[in-house]
Amino acid sequence: MTVARTASARRPLLEMRGISKRFGGLAALSDINLTVEEGSVHAIIGPNGAGKSTLLNVLVGLIEPDQGEVVFDGRPLAGITPHDIIQLGIARVFQTPQIFPGMTLLQNVAIAALAKRDGKFAVKVLESLTRTHPIIEESAAMLERVGLGAKLDEIAEQLSRGDKRRLELAICLVCRPRLLLLDEPTAGMSRHDTNTTVELLEEIAKGGMTKVIIEHDMHVVFTLAERITVLAQGRVIADGPPEEIRGNPKVQEAYLGGAQV
Amino acid sequence: MIPRNGQAGWAREAGLLLVFAVIVLTMPEWLEWIGGYSALATKVTIWALFALGFDILLGFTGYLSFGHAAFFGTAAYATGMSFRDFSPEIVPALLFSLAATVPLALILGYLTLRRTGIYFSILTLAFAQMLHAAALSIFSDWTGGDNGLTMDVSPAFMGEDLSDRAIFYIAAGTLVVGYAIARQIRRSPFGLMLMAIKENPMRLEYTGAHLRIYKIAAFVISALYGSVAGFLMVVYEPYVATKYLHWSTSGELVIMSVIGGVNTLIGPMIGATFMLYFENVVQGYLGEQWKLVLGIIFVLVVIFVPGGFVDMYNRARRRLGMVARLRRPNVPDAPGSIEEERARPRNVQARHELPTE
Amino acid sequence: MSDQLINALFLQVLTGLQIGAIYALIALGLTLIFGTLGVVNFAHGALYMLGSYFAVLLAKQIGFTATILVVPLLLFLLGILLERGLIQWFYARPHVDQILVTFGLAIVVEETLKWIFGANNIPFALPSWGLGIVRLHEWVPFLTGFVAFPKWRLILILVTLVTIAVVFLLLEFTRFGLVVRAAMRDTDMVSLLGVRVPRYFAMVFGLGSLIAGIAGTFGGPITQVTPGVGMEVLVPSFLVVVIGGMGSLPGALIAAVLIGLALSFTAEYSALQQIIVYLIAVVVLLVRPRGLMGKKGVFE
Repeated sequence: MTVARTASARRPLLEMRGISKRFGGLAALSDINLTVEEGSVHAIIGPNGAGKSTLLNVLVGLIEPDQGEVVFDGRPLAGITPHDIIQLGIARVFQTPQIFPGMTLLQNVAIAALAKRDGKFAVKVLESLTRTHPIIEESAAMLERVGLGAKLDEIAEQLSRGDKRRLELAICLVCRPRLLLLDEPTAGMSRHDTNTTVELLEEIAKGGMTKVIIEHDMHVVFTLAERITVLAQGRVIADGPPEEIRGNPKVQEAYLGGAQV
Repeated sequence: MIPRNGQAGWAREAGLLLVFAVIVLTMPEWLEWIGGYSALATKVTIWALFALGFDILLGFTGYLSFGHAAFFGTAAYATGMSFRDFSPEIVPALLFSLAATVPLALILGYLTLRRTGIYFSILTLAFAQMLHAAALSIFSDWTGGDNGLTMDVSPAFMGEDLSDRAIFYIAAGTLVVGYAIARQIRRSPFGLMLMAIKENPMRLEYTGAHLRIYKIAAFVISALYGSVAGFLMVVYEPYVATKYLHWSTSGELVIMSVIGGVNTLIGPMIGATFMLYFENVVQGYLGEQWKLVLGIIFVLVVIFVPGGFVDMYNRARRRLGMVARLRRPNVPDAPGSIEEERARPRNVQARHELPTE
Repeated sequence: MSDQLINALFLQVLTGLQIGAIYALIALGLTLIFGTLGVVNFAHGALYMLGSYFAVLLAKQIGFTATILVVPLLLFLLGILLERGLIQWFYARPHVDQILVTFGLAIVVEETLKWIFGANNIPFALPSWGLGIVRLHEWVPFLTGFVAFPKWRLILILVTLVTIAVVFLLLEFTRFGLVVRAAMRDTDMVSLLGVRVPRYFAMVFGLGSLIAGIAGTFGGPITQVTPGVGMEVLVPSFLVVVIGGMGSLPGALIAAVLIGLALSFTAEYSALQQIIVYLIAVVVLLVRPRGLMGKKGVFE
């Protein structure tokens, strides 16, 4: 369980200021202001169509906002390509675990480790990725850490869904990201699987890594998040610690009855 | 698969390459044992080299190019023109070929790899055909047009005319070196990134790798193999046919690669041997129908054994209990039962690439 | 404008339409198949070619008029057989495999025809009602002097227009057409609605083949009846489909006309004519990847 931190000043790692985006006639995002403090777990929630995906895509640089700016670690992201943004230290966990299915677990993690080590592009042909190669050893260690140490040479496709999720986390974490984006990590899961995922997330991503979780499931959100931003119809309708959000009438209204809370 | 490490690993690799070298260098002999003729060996090694390079693109990254004839043919014409107008020395001819194909590959790669999947394939086809048409019409003064490029030249090295045997050894040596390089690429970090492109481009993008540059690199490397092959072809037979630029040459490359087994490096080389053997030897027995039989074999392979001969071999080994391989790594979507196939979602590859420009 | 110029322009446009007509029919079938089944049919040129071969052989036996009815039917049946017997196993397989198997099929067809009939052209005799020229100046008001156009080519254009019209009527006003149009938008949805998708897939493939059969019957005398015709018409047809936007029927037709006109107007400059189709395709694919009228986001 995360402990409520005292109000010691934590610097903002990610700031979104006045972000607006229209698609044709539809205002997907209107004047979004959002601050994610370093080391915090920040959830972004909202009903379907609230603009969560668009916000995520703006952050990663896939979509350019019509107005406003995104500042990551003090650095404006305007005009930076998605690759470079990711190289700044952002990793993304997807709804369906995105892994390299035909490759072994070691290879899966090694790919990410190499992308971190070598940057956007490198032609490293003179090295051989044998068992003793530092990248492979690093990958093996990371897989141990997420509990997959016994399956290093298995083919990723054959893992259970839970293990695939672990693998995906290993792929993300080996890049030592400053910010971990979790895009509806428990979507479509049973209660049991959701609980397992939450435990996994708590266990693995300890140590103050900043996490932004986009979620639907209130239980997950209230368990993990230190701060919650609520979106509805492209706007921020509430922003604060869980206790504030819990009783907020606007939030309940946005969820049409708010029965999940 | 993570290869073994250290001394044992290198020894094993050297041993393998030695065996390969022996097989290739003795090809003129064993080809005759199976009904071929020794001169065919040179042609086989040239096409094997072409197919090997093609596998680096198709096998590793999964991108199917129908335009590789552009590199084979361009190098062939450059070599031909060098022999005809400059000197019978092969080194300058090789340099001209590379000088012509590298920029071509960079430009073509840059333009065609802006798209993926079927669009990429069609773009490569369109570009290659455009080049073919241009060579026949606009540049016909240089290329000899429809008749091809003829020359009365005997390729030479350092002033000495090259015998057929010497030419074979040059081609064979190039093939062995090319194979060693390809194997090294596959076990290197660069190779791993290329293979990741095929496995899950979106996830690869999100590790911060810039896919497009990797793809262009793979494209250029495979084009280089093709151009060396084109160069060697004209050294072997001092005549440049217009066919060298025609998309049917690209088509043959695809067929032999698939029959042999894509993404195995050795498969396409086996496929090249098989196809040329078929063309030159089996034709003697089947007559004109050899192409039909080959076509049927190709279709059957695609339907039932998409991993090619190499996969058939692996499957046989497994059935005989010899190898406990979990998976056929070169078979992306092997045909299973009908129910399996209906249930399997459409391949979502390449629909989620981050836009780059 | 001078009278000569008007005459010449009109003829060039007409020629362009005739060239485009064949590509339009092939592209129509290709688009129906790709849009509904998601299959890239590299064997479609071979289907056209088979149409020509069947037509030229049957015409000698049963006369051309009967052939016009029989050949499309034959191709329809062949299409259904192909879909049920081969294509259906490839829906879940990656596009690459589809390309490979249909490409292989095209080669097998080509080689089989070469084996049976040889590599030479089989002369395709036009029926008596198709011979001769049409005196256009008697029909078209703004032409002056003597302006003639081969009757058969005019017939080809008309047949194409009729075929396109019938296909559109089929798509707009029949249940079959409704299902096809829905499937072209979202195949999964259609099967979820309980529609017997396999039956429709077979019929669509059959329809595409039928149209290729019509094209082969009427285009045969023009494109010649040789085993290489299949691939010859396939490559430009593919480019037409891609230029128009894969999955867009109107796009394919517009692109076919465009290509036909481009080829007609560059007839004087043979070097340019050789490459004009590829040039247009390359430019379009680079500038507007979804083609003229393709769906956005389908630029796989």
